[in-house]
Amino acid sequence: MTLELLEGNDAIAASAIAAGCRFFAGYPMSPFTGLLESMSRRLPAAGGVCLNAESEIEGVNMTLGAAAAGARAATGSCGQGIALMQEAIAEAALNETPFVVFNMARNQQDYFQATRGGGWGDYRTITLAPKDVPEAVEHAQLAFHLADRYRAPVIFYGDPLLAQTRVGVSIRPLDFGPLPPKDWALDGTGGGTGRSRQIWTWAMGKATDPGPGPDRHWRAVAEKFAAIDATESRFEQAHVEDAETLVVAFGSAARFVEYVVDELRADGHRIGWFRPVTLWPFPGAALTAATTGKRRVLVFELNAGQMLDDVRIHAADRAAIRFIGGVSISESGLAFGELMDAPVIRDRILAVLAEGERP
Amino acid sequence: MERELVVTGVGGQGIQLLAKTLALAATREGRHAMLSADYGGEMRGGPSRASVVIGDGPLRALPVLASAWSAIVAHHRFGEPVLARLRPGGPAIVNLPLVDPASLPRMTVYGVDATAVATSVGAPQAIGFVLLGAYNAVTRLVDPASLVAAMEELLPPYRKQHAAANARALEAGAAAIGGRDVRHAEVQR
Repeated sequence: MTLELLEGNDAIAASAIAAGCRFFAGYPMSPFTGLLESMSRRLPAAGGVCLNAESEIEGVNMTLGAAAAGARAATGSCGQGIALMQEAIAEAALNETPFVVFNMARNQQDYFQATRGGGWGDYRTITLAPKDVPEAVEHAQLAFHLADRYRAPVIFYGDPLLAQTRVGVSIRPLDFGPLPPKDWALDGTGGGTGRSRQIWTWAMGKATDPGPGPDRHWRAVAEKFAAIDATESRFEQAHVEDAETLVVAFGSAARFVEYVVDELRADGHRIGWFRPVTLWPFPGAALTAATTGKRRVLVFELNAGQMLDDVRIHAADRAAIRFIGGVSISESGLAFGELMDAPVIRDRILAVLAEGERP
Repeated sequence: MERELVVTGVGGQGIQLLAKTLALAATREGRHAMLSADYGGEMRGGPSRASVVIGDGPLRALPVLASAWSAIVAHHRFGEPVLARLRPGGPAIVNLPLVDPASLPRMTVYGVDATAVATSVGAPQAIGFVLLGAYNAVTRLVDPASLVAAMEELLPPYRKQHAAANARALEAGAAAIGGRDVRHAEVQR
């Protein structure tokens, strides 16, 4: 296995292209800009197209169009730009157009945006939150697979560390299993023949070929998301068996928590960790099981408490929960603040442990 | 075995390029490497820091290092936060006379007058490579030939004319450490 030393953004772009991504459109915004630049360097050589759109709204709608024509397509930004994309993401979820949105976020404050969405309708977005660059390389490909499998937009939740850290990685196409044919894709050949295909959020069809209409269609879409919720949640955990205290974290923060927990265990603390790999579907049943009988459930995230809601929904005992994260942004506003640091996380955990019986 | 290096100095000293060169050299040798860069918006004179982690397997170190084994200190300014995380006893290469060796009392300090060494081999712009050459002579983390190859690979086309001078700087940095004893035998590969 040959390793290439690639900046995270570059590795993610290369991996997406290895997965068959052939269309990318976006608008520069730090720390996402490196991903757009990498796509613009790499995609033409792979026979694809990368466009610097004039806004995030244009970028996501171009992507929706390319995806409707059957291409593996993606867009991206950071949370601020993805806020602008919400209408198109909701439309795509409801008219069942698969593409990937790379959120190379500035921080962890986009959890609600990713998992609750900002568009209209009964939809969810599958959200993958890798903890480091090697996992980001895998998720960049898994995202396209899940999008195609479920005909739905998928969000990849990155961050400044994933975007900008250079790591030795190996990039090759990954096989996640068979996919249904894209027999719904628009091919531009049906015009005037009466056999043209249609992708419409309201699914009303046309005079010669009536669709199910919004009532039946939106119920079917809601049932699809319920099925995804039941089957596609992913998580990782360690030391749950003997832990009195469990720390829940996602993305890069979970990698830091893992590091700190290893240290604390070496010091004799009975502590473990739990990481939702998919933020939606949230691995709720797994978290219930992992938190059963635990004295303390600590939630660490770099925001004011967003994943905290999902932990509250699913923890075996809500009274055991204590939030140890917080808002923490660098002076530039473009990266994590001082909270994303092992000694700081260690101190916060130890402070709660020192309080005794209950948090 | 995992080894961490922090490099600190001011923008323009070649901090980022030397860190990238070491990380790439290790990668080309088939090892795992991680490189984190941290620098100000200024072209020159602002904070410039980097960290490199090299290991024989997947790395445990975080992209924000909790602690580090070794250091290259090209300038004392801006260095305090990262230097505070050095584990005692590890090697530190300091750029004389800008950096006071006594400022790192808990480290095994190797002083190199990088400007004088670089100038003596006709590579005054390459003090970063002098420091890297010295660092690698002490730590032997990678083959010196790998550093030269990585440096050449990283130079953009419009900088290729500096390749020979940079190679001399790497070699002169190693020679400046000379026969000095490497106290930490375990750093050898």
